[in-house]
Amino acid sequence: MNLSRPDRLSRLDALAAEYALGTLPARARRRMARVAQTDTVVASAIRGWEQRLSPLAEAAPPITPSPRVWRVVTLRLGLEPVRAAARGPWWTRLAFWRGFALASFVAAVALALVTLMPRPEPIGQPIVVVLAGPDAKPALIATMARDDRVMTVKTVGAAPVPPGRSLELWMLPDGAAPRSLGVLPPAGLGRITLPALPDHALAGVPALAVSLEQAGGSPSGAPQGPVLYTGRVERFY
Amino acid sequence: MAVAPSSDKNARLAALLPRVALGDQAAFGELYELTSGHLYGCALRILRDPPAAEEILQEAYVNVWHHAGSYEVAKSQPFTWLTTIVRNRCLDQLRRRELDTVTLTPDGGDAPEYDVPSDAMTPAEMLLAGAVAVSVRDCVDALDAGPKQAVALAFYHGLSHSELAHHLRQPLGTVKSWVRRGLEKLRNCLDRAGYARAE
Repeated sequence: MNLSRPDRLSRLDALAAEYALGTLPARARRRMARVAQTDTVVASAIRGWEQRLSPLAEAAPPITPSPRVWRVVTLRLGLEPVRAAARGPWWTRLAFWRGFALASFVAAVALALVTLMPRPEPIGQPIVVVLAGPDAKPALIATMARDDRVMTVKTVGAAPVPPGRSLELWMLPDGAAPRSLGVLPPAGLGRITLPALPDHALAGVPALAVSLEQAGGSPSGAPQGPVLYTGRVERFY
Repeated sequence: MAVAPSSDKNARLAALLPRVALGDQAAFGELYELTSGHLYGCALRILRDPPAAEEILQEAYVNVWHHAGSYEVAKSQPFTWLTTIVRNRCLDQLRRRELDTVTLTPDGGDAPEYDVPSDAMTPAEMLLAGAVAVSVRDCVDALDAGPKQAVALAFYHGLSHSELAHHLRQPLGTVKSWVRRGLEKLRNCLDRAGYARAE
């Protein structure tokens, strides 16, 4: 297909127009894109039409995408999900704690609703942490019993973990640096063994957090990747 | 050269892109704020499938982060560049999808049912609203009703010729010639009005 011969120019223009408009069928569309990669006349005909039609695209009403889109973009690029200008580790930043307060509030409301529902049996796992992202939607739920060192973590709405990365669970003790509880499985149910029984292990620990780390977890023992989810430790006893 | 409808936004984007190319996350965040609504609207109207539209948007921004350096101011306005990336990905996917689900029904009598998602504006109204630059507006206005509708539906909703025929209840040949005539007329009118592309 030699579209750049002078006698073919109006044919080329018509094809370029329909390419830019989007009406070319799959095969013709692919062929056109391939030719444009090497043929500058074809490429510039397409660009001309994209330019002509571009003002039209701006007229359509914008639709705000879910916050998930930005979160996944930053996750995939390994950037910080919160556009905070502040320096220093994330657990010292105001924006983090502000978001945390909101997430905690929502988690508390969610828990209140859950506990208000009539229940045939008493709660088997009296310590619950609902971990949520900046949009305050629950992503992971951690539960544990007072007499058991094993904490169960269930994925309920977490974004997919990018390949080659791991989610790591942290305790956020009052006035001290985060302490790792271990790496979570990419999906489903995870079991994390606490260093001691919950009442002891979580004494002075008002919250947990999950960060995105390199595969296998942060090698330094301190969180290095972005924090994705946080949640307050709630005791039902 | 016609006045760009959003020259302020384009100027801001043109300033942000080189910073994004240098790995400036704040610039990337601002670029996202400025463009994601428009690009998502674009993708969603074409694909009619939120998860697929989100996926395209994610791909597009990941690409922008990696290839912001390849954006050439001389060749296109930043907004055009971004819109084109998203539109082309959506259209590629849409046309590929159609290719994968080709059915062997005779005469195309069973063209898939197609509902144009409801927006507050009709595609033809969007077409007019988009033509902010005076000459572009005049040219869109000058299109006959049939060609105007066909071009608008194809542009905003990614309808193929056969979907257009189905939706507009017209023979395929008529719709094809509406699209062709619409585009030709648009071009002649724009050229007469001195709307030059940025090259």
